[in-house]
Amino acid sequence: MIVAPAVVLVALLAGLAGWVIRGSVVRRDEGRLARAEHAAVEAERARAEAADQRLQAVIDAVPQGAVVYDRTGRPTMGNALGRRFIDARHRDALVELAARELVAAVSHNGAHAARRPVEPAGTPRMVVDVQARRLAGGGAIVLLEDTTERRRLEEVRRDFVANISHELRTPIGAIALLTETMVVEMSAAVTAPEPVLRLANRLHAEAVRVSRTIDDLLLLSRIENDEEPVREAVVVADALVEAIDRVAGAAHERHIEIRLDLADRAVRIRGDRRQLVSAVFNLLDNAVKYSDANSLVVLRTLPVDDEGNVAIEVEDRGIGIPARDLDRIFERFYRVDQARSRRTGGTGLGLSIVRHVAENHDGRITARSCEGEGSTFVLTLPADPRSRSGTVAATEVA
Amino acid sequence: MPDNHDYRKALHNDIDELRVEVVRLAAMVGDVIVRATEALLSYDMDAAAELIMHDDEVDALSIDIEERCFKLLALQQPMASDLRAIVASMKINADIERSGDLMVNVAKGARRMYGVQLPPRLRGLIQQMSDEADRLLRLAVDAFSDRNGPLGAALNDIDDRLDLLQAEFVQAIFEAHAAGDIDLQAAVQLAVICRYYERVGDHAVNIGERVRFMTDGRLPEHEGAARVKARQAMAASAERFGVDNGDPGEAPDSP
Repeated sequence: MIVAPAVVLVALLAGLAGWVIRGSVVRRDEGRLARAEHAAVEAERARAEAADQRLQAVIDAVPQGAVVYDRTGRPTMGNALGRRFIDARHRDALVELAARELVAAVSHNGAHAARRPVEPAGTPRMVVDVQARRLAGGGAIVLLEDTTERRRLEEVRRDFVANISHELRTPIGAIALLTETMVVEMSAAVTAPEPVLRLANRLHAEAVRVSRTIDDLLLLSRIENDEEPVREAVVVADALVEAIDRVAGAAHERHIEIRLDLADRAVRIRGDRRQLVSAVFNLLDNAVKYSDANSLVVLRTLPVDDEGNVAIEVEDRGIGIPARDLDRIFERFYRVDQARSRRTGGTGLGLSIVRHVAENHDGRITARSCEGEGSTFVLTLPADPRSRSGTVAATEVA
Repeated sequence: MPDNHDYRKALHNDIDELRVEVVRLAAMVGDVIVRATEALLSYDMDAAAELIMHDDEVDALSIDIEERCFKLLALQQPMASDLRAIVASMKINADIERSGDLMVNVAKGARRMYGVQLPPRLRGLIQQMSDEADRLLRLAVDAFSDRNGPLGAALNDIDDRLDLLQAEFVQAIFEAHAAGDIDLQAAVQLAVICRYYERVGDHAVNIGERVRFMTDGRLPEHEGAARVKARQAMAASAERFGVDNGDPGEAPDSP
């Protein structure tokens, strides 16, 4: 039969066609799948690229030099300032060396961040502050900051203070001493002309005043430039008593009574005892100077408040401070009443010293006043948490 | 072939890192040059002691570099310019490390000279020699880092200035001693110290030569060796022809 092979042929053809069609469908499906896959990969890549670009933009926006190191300690990206130190030569290479060491330190050790100033030898002078911070997920970021100018200024300032001390304080001290001798000699002599004695007295008083101003300036800049602040436990009550002792002479002269009123005898702060004494002394000294004779100055501490701060208050019944001046009295050399301040022998630096002491101890100084009634200065400092009455007993038992 | 490609890439990365490490070592030693001179001229014994301690760090990095070179040679089987770069780095490493040692000697010299007031002229010359040694090392490192063969070759001539300074310094020592400004001990110490600076210059010249080898495979020793061969050939021919030529003189430089 011819039909049979024809049928077979047709069947075969049909099968073949079906296979071809099926195949093409499969291929088409495969093609679609591949395209979809490709598109997904492309989209993913574009996203990653966009993320990278965004990250680069973020790093570019960092004002210091910034370099990102991967977990193997190799630099992967950085901004223009930071790139100066990658693959650097000569002195810059020392900065990168320090950066790598810090990266290694924060990657391997417990510390999250480490910093170190690098000062390669030679001229022009160059100081770069290098700090590394560990990044979540491995690696670290290094920030590089050129602190040459800042360091130079700091040194100039330090030198200036030292020079002032030497060049001004010594001769003024000599003048004070010499005029004092003059006054003593002339008072003893019978023939000394009265105007000369009076002028010598003035000379002596002025010399003492300038010498005190210089002392205050030096104290102030020491407090300001305190690079390694002392942090010891200071019993506030002891410091207050010491400050009262210092001002006792002046208070006695004007018949002013200083009353000490303590809420908690054991309360302590962590800080510099000398600074605290000097701050309270300055507040008391002002209170005594600006109070009427025979009046009362109260020095009190309040109980430690909810935020863990202890407030030290100095309250006087003096002339008070005009409201418009209250904001400015903590500025250097600011005087409410120039003439009076000179008469009382103030240096104009006392409250400025108090403010810096407060800032150094993470505290603050505020004042409230009513003209004609008096002023109250409040020095607020964080109390040493272990010093609150209850816990003190506990630690002492332990 | 991806494998071959990766192999070269890894090798080149390693050679790059090696270069960075050598540059770092040189930066450390450059720092030491400046500080040693400062210690000497300002009679700063703390700084001198610190420098002597610091040399251990220089040595540690140098040993690290040497080990990197060994590893690359043993594991990567580098060829041609790669091989030359590694060999040159190894030699340059030694030159830099030695320069660091010489500057430590200056720091030790500063200790021995303690209490000796140096006349201004000698101080000035020491500063100039130090600056010059520092500059030569920098140029050598620039040549190495930029693979700048011509700069490497020029170092020999640039070094002349340091040699002149040293000669001038020795003369100044004689004069200062004759004038009674310094005693004999100090004079000898100073003469030794100026040699240290001069030697740093020589090491920089060596580095320059290694850079030249790295970039185009030339070594000055080869020229010297060629001269020896030429001399031997001349002597041999003279013998053969019965000409007495005991002093063959210097063979002309090969072009």
